[in-house]
Amino acid sequence: MINSKEFSWSVIAIWVAIFSIGLAAIYSATQGPVSQFLPEYIQNNFFKQAIWIGLSIVVLIGLQFISPRTFQGGAYLFYALCILLMVITLFFGVEVSGSRSWLRIGPLNLQVGEITKIATILAAANYLTSRRDISAENLKTALTTVGFFILPVILLLMQNEAGIAIVYLAILPVVLFWSGLPYGISLLMIAPALIGYFTVLDWMWGAIMVAIVTIGIFLLQRRTWLTATSLVMGLLIVVGTEVALEQVLQPHQRARIESFANPTLDPLGAGWNVLQAKTAIGSGGLQGKGFMEGTQTQLRFLPEQWTDFIFCVVGEEFGFIGSSLVLILFSLLLLKMLSMAINHKHPFAQLVIVSVTFLFFAQFIINIGSATALLPIIGIPLPFMSYGGSAFLTNTIMLALCLNLDANKRSFSIYR
Amino acid sequence: MSINRQSHRVRTSAKVLRAVLVIGLLILLARIFQLQIIEYETYTPLSMQNSLRMEVVNPARGLIYDKNGIILVENQPIYSITITPSRFNEEKIPHLSQLLQVEEDLVRERMNEAQQYSWHRTSRLFTEVSFETFSAIQENLWQLPGIGHQVESKRNYPTNVKASHVMGYLREATREEYLASEKILLGDKIGKSGLEMIYDDYLRGEVGTEYIRVNAFGQELGSYEDGMLDMAPKKGADLITTLDAEVQQLSEELMVNKRGGIVAMDPQTGGVLSMVSSPQYDLSKLAGRMDSEYWQQINQDPHTPLYNRAISSRQPPGSTFKPFMGLVGLELGLITPQTEIYNPGYYTRGRRYGDLADPGNYNLEDAITYSSNTYFFWIMDRIASRGMLDSWSELIKDFGIGPKNNIDLPYEVSGIVPDSTYMNEQFGDRYWGVGDLMSLGIGQGMVSASPLQMAVATSTIANGGYRVQPHVVSAIKDRSGEFQYTNPVFEKIEWLNPNQLENVKRGMRGVVSTGGGRYYANLDSIEVAGKTGTAQNPYGEDHGWFIAFAPMDNPQIAVAVLVENAGYGSISAAPIASLVIEKYLTRELNRQRVLDYVLDFRSKETQTAEVN
Repeated sequence: MINSKEFSWSVIAIWVAIFSIGLAAIYSATQGPVSQFLPEYIQNNFFKQAIWIGLSIVVLIGLQFISPRTFQGGAYLFYALCILLMVITLFFGVEVSGSRSWLRIGPLNLQVGEITKIATILAAANYLTSRRDISAENLKTALTTVGFFILPVILLLMQNEAGIAIVYLAILPVVLFWSGLPYGISLLMIAPALIGYFTVLDWMWGAIMVAIVTIGIFLLQRRTWLTATSLVMGLLIVVGTEVALEQVLQPHQRARIESFANPTLDPLGAGWNVLQAKTAIGSGGLQGKGFMEGTQTQLRFLPEQWTDFIFCVVGEEFGFIGSSLVLILFSLLLLKMLSMAINHKHPFAQLVIVSVTFLFFAQFIINIGSATALLPIIGIPLPFMSYGGSAFLTNTIMLALCLNLDANKRSFSIYR
Repeated sequence: MSINRQSHRVRTSAKVLRAVLVIGLLILLARIFQLQIIEYETYTPLSMQNSLRMEVVNPARGLIYDKNGIILVENQPIYSITITPSRFNEEKIPHLSQLLQVEEDLVRERMNEAQQYSWHRTSRLFTEVSFETFSAIQENLWQLPGIGHQVESKRNYPTNVKASHVMGYLREATREEYLASEKILLGDKIGKSGLEMIYDDYLRGEVGTEYIRVNAFGQELGSYEDGMLDMAPKKGADLITTLDAEVQQLSEELMVNKRGGIVAMDPQTGGVLSMVSSPQYDLSKLAGRMDSEYWQQINQDPHTPLYNRAISSRQPPGSTFKPFMGLVGLELGLITPQTEIYNPGYYTRGRRYGDLADPGNYNLEDAITYSSNTYFFWIMDRIASRGMLDSWSELIKDFGIGPKNNIDLPYEVSGIVPDSTYMNEQFGDRYWGVGDLMSLGIGQGMVSASPLQMAVATSTIANGGYRVQPHVVSAIKDRSGEFQYTNPVFEKIEWLNPNQLENVKRGMRGVVSTGGGRYYANLDSIEVAGKTGTAQNPYGEDHGWFIAFAPMDNPQIAVAVLVENAGYGSISAAPIASLVIEKYLTRELNRQRVLDYVLDFRSKETQTAEVN
């Protein structure tokens, strides 16, 4: 049993605020005037989400009664179990809109790839911190850690769930970085994403990014081979991306990738979602159009407005005030969690909390980046806000873990 | 690794990660600030456009009434299916064609047409679909983005009155027409003949606009702001015509199986009571979605049904010309009412000109009644030999024979009343002489007129010497109910002397009571005055003419009838004119014998179909 004085009630308050806004947005997106265009099973999303939230609260409370050592001790077993479930899903899963990533257990549809996030974080953290001589500085250790992440990523790609896979890849550099991977190599790890992104915008930007990254790596590491590797790799990415865009990809595939930067190229095809999302947010203005008054939302100009584009509903109906409130709440949550990690003495707890923080951060950036056309549209739900029971439960479990670890920071110590 | 070093590393890493978090959040914050505050003005109209659709609401076209308030032309709803090509998905063509019950290729063809006009504007894909098809499309609209529906209207003709040449038909505006006018949009129908053409600007009204809330599928959700921004269409003005529906209908029936034209008018105003050109065509087949087979048929028909014989044909007036010759002779001082001219059975001038009237002395009145050619050859001889051709021409034109009379219908033609300039043009300077002019005296040869011109001229005699402007519309009733009256010309012809007119009128009364009109044109109840005529036709059977007015003492109707290829006017045109007069003045027909005779009567077929 945890000490309630040690418990971070403020994080709970922020969490409640975030999911309440999310719930309101789901209500508006499925129960408002728009409901006449929606099939009944989608109209029920609000109630289903409410039930999932209720369930998640119970789970969150329940998890506070478990010793943090259990998480560490059971990490590998849990990981193995999840991987097994994912393999099973591959064969016996339920197919939902093109991806076979759901497993039906009784009345529940479970997205195993979501739960596996927890297992992967725990397993990797356990591996990296269970023995004092292991750290990511050692190349072999780092590669093993990569293995922990790559396995579920491959399975997810086989399930056609690239969106979730990207999140795994996004936190891998953070995990390694926190575990002592040299700064230069850490930068090298995230360089492909940065260079690729800027190359899609314009190859000149990509080239500039290569220069910046290379100089950065040289300054951090001062190793010729690493700097040279960075330069060659960076240039290959720029050229490769350009060749892929210009030569390899079909025009419609290219349009899909570039549409976030230039939606008017194909306003009714690839650019449609981007344009409608921007229009929804932009037309919200300072105060928004009012609850259930957003025309973009209520007239179904937004696709998947209760999941991937939930932020657009907030932006349109509650305006800049509402959307910046969401950003601020997330900032508070993430910064608070990062402080938890820093204040913790136990490396396992530190790594788990940092991983979870950046898992949330990655989903948050990708989701809102997609909705505001800063990033290509990648179908990822906004943590605690988008409709989706598995994701909500998974995210809550991860938050509960962090809270548990934080509340036990005195008792859960490396010295005991 | 020492604890110290490790904790140092943790602190540095924490700073880096915190910076990453903060930078990421700030980027997003800046982005939503940009979108929602700075670019708010850009996205608000976009969201309005998304959710609002401006639709053009077509005004109801004005109605057309007869003089007694009977509706002759009205509107009837028709259902159209529209397409906005930019929103339409071609994969839906099979589904759409199945709902419309037409071939996919046809749908594709119409869609391409619409795309060529505009990718983003809404065009009509199919017009005048059945209500069942319309409903089927309506139910499936949500599956068919870019497809819409409209209720429009087409012209409907509720009475048995056809009046095809008077009313006219509508057709879709051509590219030149809709580009030239702000008021005409693609797909709009505009009047292409008849009153529909002349009064198109009045009848059309003004289009309105309506804002409709729509969703991403194009489904209509209702009006915007309770329609506060909508502009109601302005209904077109109604036309009150001078037509008498009953008389018009009878006139049409009487002309069935005949070629020719009737113009009946009120001689006191010039208002047209009935106007028929036969053969007619069926306006209802040209309303709404045009029956293209029918259109082709009437365009290729050798009897040219689209041609308005009542105002566009030119035929020698024959003996109906004689009353006017007489009046001109009096004015030129060549004769007096008492002047008697002996008819030996012919008139000699270079050669013998025949005269079918009994030999004897004729004064003006008798010469008209018994249609003595000699009397009028005698007058024409003097006009020709004394160089008075130009004066003669001027005076004849004063009756409305020759010039256009500015009726409010399109395609009115002028007739021919030769003067010296005309003769010079036709024969070469001075290569013509008295012999070429003689036949003009009895309305043959080069002189020619339309039934309308003869009706106007007859009115002038009937009304005591006033020039009338023939017209079909007497008033335009705008949508607020205000009447705007047309102001037709009605002015005294100075040189016409009432006493002289009396002589001519008596002569014309004699035609009907004792002359050539006595069999078919004489009515017991009403004193009818008239004149028969037969236009010599070098191409076939002669054309029959009859002009008449009634009642003798206070004329209320003047009629001119031309029946092509029908022989003598007394047996072809006269009975028709008398039935029209009888109907108008008594509202009934008491001579079944004459009616049956006319209904059985047919124009002879000609070897060559000639126009003009």
